[in-house]
Amino acid sequence: MSWRLAALKNGFQEDAAYRVEFFLSIFSSALVPAAIQLILWYALFQLGNQSEVSGWSYAELIQYTLVSTLFTQVRGGDHDFDLQEMIRTGSLSNYLLRPVGPVEFVYLRGVGGRLFIATICLCLGTLAFAALGFSIPRLWGGMLLAVAGNVIHYQIGSVLATTAFVWEEAFSVLMVKNMLVQLLSGELLPLNLFPESMQWIWKSTPFYLYVYGPTQYALGNWSHQEFIHGLGLAAAWMIGCTFLIRLSWGWGIRRYSSLGG
Amino acid sequence: MNVIEVERVSRTFRSVKKKAGLKGTFELLLKPEYQEHQALQEVSFSIEEGAFVGLIGANGAGKTTLLKILSGLIPASSGTARVLGADPFQRSLDFRRSISLVMGQKAQLWWDLPALDAFDLIQAIYEIPKSRYQERLNTLAELLDVKRLFQTQIRRLSLGERMKMELIGALLHWPKVIFLDEPTIGLDVLAAHKLREFLREFNQRERSTIILTSHNMDDIERLCSRVMILRSGKMIYDGRPAGLTREGERQLTVRLMEKPTAAELALETGIPVELIAGEAQLASENEEEEIPEGTVRFNLRNELIVPTLQKLMQHYQVVDMGIHEPNLEYVIQRMYESGETPSPEVSA
Repeated sequence: MSWRLAALKNGFQEDAAYRVEFFLSIFSSALVPAAIQLILWYALFQLGNQSEVSGWSYAELIQYTLVSTLFTQVRGGDHDFDLQEMIRTGSLSNYLLRPVGPVEFVYLRGVGGRLFIATICLCLGTLAFAALGFSIPRLWGGMLLAVAGNVIHYQIGSVLATTAFVWEEAFSVLMVKNMLVQLLSGELLPLNLFPESMQWIWKSTPFYLYVYGPTQYALGNWSHQEFIHGLGLAAAWMIGCTFLIRLSWGWGIRRYSSLGG
Repeated sequence: MNVIEVERVSRTFRSVKKKAGLKGTFELLLKPEYQEHQALQEVSFSIEEGAFVGLIGANGAGKTTLLKILSGLIPASSGTARVLGADPFQRSLDFRRSISLVMGQKAQLWWDLPALDAFDLIQAIYEIPKSRYQERLNTLAELLDVKRLFQTQIRRLSLGERMKMELIGALLHWPKVIFLDEPTIGLDVLAAHKLREFLREFNQRERSTIILTSHNMDDIERLCSRVMILRSGKMIYDGRPAGLTREGERQLTVRLMEKPTAAELALETGIPVELIAGEAQLASENEEEEIPEGTVRFNLRNELIVPTLQKLMQHYQVVDMGIHEPNLEYVIQRMYESGETPSPEVSA
């Protein structure tokens, strides 16, 4: 078995070691944002007597909320935080000594559980889409884009984590990144609710490819062409980030002091 | 053939100076001050294949820094280091496949998984053929007597058991060079003994080159044919352990019925008070053994033994006596305390 497959399997085994925590984390991370959105839409439409918000009907927004919840589960994973903690505490040394790339290794060990969640989401979504008469291939396409988003999310995080080589509080940089992602990925609300003059903000980051893009495609609001464009953009971000990772880690490793011991 | 060659290696660390209190916190935010610490200063040595070398030094002497440079974790600030013919900091795949670093104070295996899962991952990382992996795992498990614990989560193991698992994880790929940083730290006497026996056997059987740092002189005395001593980042000794003791130096241990002070003994025997160790000092040097009441140790030259005994017998009743060569622990402790530098031996 190649080390990549073994790392995936090993990471999943570790996640499964704490089964209750694993499933509770999925449940809570899905429940809270979905509940907030559902209450918000209810307040707007039912209590506020609105029939449409920025072209979205109540039913469409509920559909968005439910489908985006599936993709939000795939977006997560804070292994970039693990990386910065390893750099800060010196435990990165364990990975630097092995004949594998530490950034890739940490990702693969961490993503096992997330891929498992993606599979569950895909199965649940497929059943729901079949029952409601939505396009199943579109759901699968959306999931593909969401998985690409997961990779980009980690790649950006691992570039930012290299600030830990020179700054002990790199943690805060990743916190800010995650807050921006929550806002600009579409997991809290559909991004086209942004005022026209502010649409450029989310369009200039890759974050909308994590949740908003997959949800829009799955619901049929994005054409195939927009989806292919989204996939192309995701590929471009992945290639660009790979280059940035090489650059920033090459720079950082020379400053690594391998604390402890 | 030399597998490790180090020439004039120095390493400096720069860190932020943080003063105590709230004022210090604000100063750190507004006007951070930096300090430099020279961990290694122009260290040079070479090590042959199959050698078992002890690296000794007080805390902060630079031992771990040296191991980190040799294993490629950090670069040297100046000088050159080559391990197995390669620059360690380049960390080529071949290099990483050929070395191992075990840090007694740092876990390298994954805490929440059983050891066997971690070993399986290591097998995949180092691409060890399945049959060879099984063979090695059985050999190591047998030598360390831990097979029954393979299915237990690492975090549920005792310190000694965990250390053994760490060693197995570090040796599964059969490294040619092994760096061991205090591998017996925190282990009980029996576990430390078993670990030492295992390391000796592995070194002899596989001809791996091993550098061991330890504060436990038992480790060094029993395993290493060569010791290197670092003090404040400088290499102050490189040679055989026996070369550390002064020629003709002996330790005379006597047990007296009376309980004279060290000052009284110095007055009566003419031996300087700093060369006389009373019961309390002996107890602090050797916590494992009970020191009988009235025991005193003199460090003196061979020719002074008889006259000193005669003087002692004139004043006291001598119940028991023994003469030994000074042990490494004593020699190193004296070296740390006095700041003396032993005459350098020829590099092995």
